[in-house]
Amino acid sequence: MADTAVDVQHAEHHGHADHHHGPQGLLKYVWSTDHKIIAMQYLFTGMFMAVIGGYMAYVFRMQLAFPGISVPGFGQVSPGEYNSLVTNHGSIMIFWVAMPVLIAAFGNYLIPLMIGADDMVFPRINRLSYQIFLVSAILLLASMFVQGGGFGGAWTAYPPLSAVAEYNQTALGSSMWLVAVALEFVAFLLGGINFITTLMNSRAPGMKAYDIPIVCWMIVIASILFMLSVGPLIAGAVMLLFDQVLGTGFYDPARGGDPILWQHLFWFFGHPEVYVVLLPAIGMTIDVIATFSRKKIFGYKLVLYTTVATGVLSFFVWAHHQFIAGIDPRMANVFTITTLLISVPIAEMCFVIIATLYGGSIRLTTPMLWALAFVAEFLIGGVTGIFLGASGADIYFHDTYFVLAHFHYTFFPIAIIGSFIGFTYWFPKMFGRMMNDTLGKIHFWGTVIPFNFIFIPLFVLGIGGQHRRIYNYQHFPELAGPEMYQLRVIATISLLVMLSFQLVFFYNCITSWISGEKAGKNPWKANTLEWTTESPPPHGNWPADDMPNVYRGAYEYGHPDREEDYWPQNQPS
Amino acid sequence: MSDHQDHHDGHQVNYKKIYFILLGLLVVSVAGPFLEILWVTLLTAFGIAIVKARLVINNFMHLKWEKRLVKWVLTTSLLLMGLMFAGVAPDVMNHEGNNWENLAAQAAVARGVAGEHEEEEAEDVVEVVVGFSAQSTFTVVCGACHGAAGDGTGAAAAALNPRPASFIDPVFWETRDRDRILTVIRDGAAAVGGSPLMVPWRASYDDEQIQALTDYVMSLRPNE
Amino acid sequence: MANAKPLATLRSATGIPTGRLAVWWVLASEVVIFGGLLGAYLMHRLGHPEWAEAAAHTNTWVGAFNTFVLLSSSFTAVLAHQAAEKGNGKEAAKLLGFTILGALTFLIVKSGEWTYEIMHGYTITANNFWSFYYTAAGLHALHVIAGAIIMGFVAVDAYRGRELHRVELIGIYWHFVDVVWIFLFPLLYIAK
Repeated sequence: MADTAVDVQHAEHHGHADHHHGPQGLLKYVWSTDHKIIAMQYLFTGMFMAVIGGYMAYVFRMQLAFPGISVPGFGQVSPGEYNSLVTNHGSIMIFWVAMPVLIAAFGNYLIPLMIGADDMVFPRINRLSYQIFLVSAILLLASMFVQGGGFGGAWTAYPPLSAVAEYNQTALGSSMWLVAVALEFVAFLLGGINFITTLMNSRAPGMKAYDIPIVCWMIVIASILFMLSVGPLIAGAVMLLFDQVLGTGFYDPARGGDPILWQHLFWFFGHPEVYVVLLPAIGMTIDVIATFSRKKIFGYKLVLYTTVATGVLSFFVWAHHQFIAGIDPRMANVFTITTLLISVPIAEMCFVIIATLYGGSIRLTTPMLWALAFVAEFLIGGVTGIFLGASGADIYFHDTYFVLAHFHYTFFPIAIIGSFIGFTYWFPKMFGRMMNDTLGKIHFWGTVIPFNFIFIPLFVLGIGGQHRRIYNYQHFPELAGPEMYQLRVIATISLLVMLSFQLVFFYNCITSWISGEKAGKNPWKANTLEWTTESPPPHGNWPADDMPNVYRGAYEYGHPDREEDYWPQNQPS
Repeated sequence: MSDHQDHHDGHQVNYKKIYFILLGLLVVSVAGPFLEILWVTLLTAFGIAIVKARLVINNFMHLKWEKRLVKWVLTTSLLLMGLMFAGVAPDVMNHEGNNWENLAAQAAVARGVAGEHEEEEAEDVVEVVVGFSAQSTFTVVCGACHGAAGDGTGAAAAALNPRPASFIDPVFWETRDRDRILTVIRDGAAAVGGSPLMVPWRASYDDEQIQALTDYVMSLRPNE
Repeated sequence: MANAKPLATLRSATGIPTGRLAVWWVLASEVVIFGGLLGAYLMHRLGHPEWAEAAAHTNTWVGAFNTFVLLSSSFTAVLAHQAAEKGNGKEAAKLLGFTILGALTFLIVKSGEWTYEIMHGYTITANNFWSFYYTAAGLHALHVIAGAIIMGFVAVDAYRGRELHRVELIGIYWHFVDVVWIFLFPLLYIAK
């Protein structure tokens, strides 16, 4: 440890002298290497993409509930457009909303602040990561407007539909989609290396492994999962691109290739990816619940170990997406067992959350409401996953709306509720002002209640046999009965209600940003290091001669020997 | 922990020696195939590749002196590739499909055919085998164009020219009789001078089934 | 340019300098990229004995020469690291220059080899063996090109006595590129 101290001295003498010279003016915001600015860039880009993804959902839900109508704000939806909307809705919500907001935005913002560092370890790589991400987002949006329209082969892009232009009819759109996804992977590989090395190397003096706030651990473990799982898919994407552009036959069985190979490569990444976005969301939930229960987390190490267990297990479950793809039934056996096993660590985390709540002095602020909703809604998603994880039941449920409702019950809590947990909790730190709590609660109920009214009918429809990827159910007499249409209309109207309540959120954001109550350093009376600096934090986060030291874990709430019920990590005892 | 910055200076590797060993191994791996013995070729190719890689990784990349953490990370990534291979290869290397035989079902059928003792199970199996019904075939197959109700408004109808016939239209029946319906189903509408879009079905259904379908179409005829 | 490093970069809680730690993580992610591609190739190759016929047309001598070139360039890269550790930036830059020269030789030989093969009809679409051959070797060649470019920047810096620790980092990456080739060579050239 001796030389670490030397390093610090070294930095303070020569590093900080010209550390504050950066680009000036507007360029400060687009060309900055400051981790907080880059986090904001990711956050706002992610929010913008979420609006687009929501708009797509609105268009195709209208088509499903009222087939053939001219959708206000879009016009009539053709089958090709429908496919492209569904595909890009999925791609955007996972790769351009959940990933940038949960991992990149909150990772960039929180990791240096929570571990007491002045920035990421590689600020310029960090900036490059965002710029590549931005290019990928623009490329994806552009792919919707090229000749032939956007790619419509679902976000999983199974060949031969994705590989052969005669089948998908979108020669240019599908290649652009693929390149955009690959660029996005590159952006997150660069970002992930930054998160991992920052957490490993740049912790404040005195901060040991078990003093790190859970959310930092979760983001870093998610980045590790991402880095170790995405490689085969990058190789597979190169092969798919060659199939599309050069006419090779990697996925063409007639020429000795194998389409199942893509499915395996995709899901070898695709399943860990679910946990890549889940872990940060669950980390924020745990942090928020500890703060607003004014209690230490019940089992910090347990959470950490179960997170690692989840990460390891997540590599062993991928083929449960392929139970009816013709894979070896003996493998289906193995993957059923591992899939059911992975619910154990996740259930453990839910129990930890409940045990943390037990006996706490709970404060139902807006972020706390979101965190509780996360647990409740994610539980439904998890429990319905049991049906699908069992290979026998999955033969019936596969590719029905039951699957769709299941993963929306997991991804909505992760991507949307998770983002709102983080956004409402750290808004005072990010912008220096409190959000309006009443408006926040209106927005909360206006989002969570309609959400259930969207997807519970879809569960019912799925059990009723409603297949996915169908443009107009009128063509299928047994799926076109009035009772099925009533459920579809309920879902669509609930979506409209939910989307309209998001206006409250944007209104609240803007007014609170301009004229909200001043937040001060630590409005929630929380322990972690980001609350010990100004809101919003200055460049460098803390004065160069007053970087924080850490003396204890992040969750010392309600310590019996103290008058205050919290005990910031940087206060000497 | 405090000596980590210096640990690189602490070890002295004779890089030249390692380099010449690597070149020697390269010669062996090229020479191996000349013996034209398969296992020797494989051994000199891949065995030596592993030895060479180890030499480079340990001595040139200095992994030997690196913290254990790094070795763990790299080993994990290699193990994951092993996992990927183990999970994917059984499917990708299986070019002929699994061709599983459902022995349980076969046994049940055999019992049913042989059988006095287990008639109940036998009945279930027989149910599945007998499947043709004129009505359901019409709904699923003919209905795609003619509509499930035979009114000429199936899913594909809009795209077809001429439009598919409506069997509930009295005008249609003014010029049709049972023989003509039967011929059109069996040999296609082109056989009687109609549109080739109504294709012949004799390859898909036997005479008895076509008779049943004809009866079903006749039953749609509205009564005056 | 805000070239001054933040305090975060200079801390080292693990005991491994930040730059080197990051390079190891980059390599871990590279291992899974090449692992995915070569794993896919291997399972196809094992499942298609008839690919041996296509593989017989690859030129072992060219592959062996390129292996020799890469091994030698790795050798100069590690010598450059040794020089940099002694603080001799000029010597390190010179040795890195030799490594870049090795990279260029490798690429020139490779392009000649590919030209010959393509002219004889063995294009990327000829059959799936050739598809894998060009994809795997092409991905590797991209790493060679990227490494050579980065090494150019590092060598210029080292010549002026700046950022000498980067000589080691680019060296580790370069050895990895070498190791990938050590496995590509038997997979594509020897095992027929």
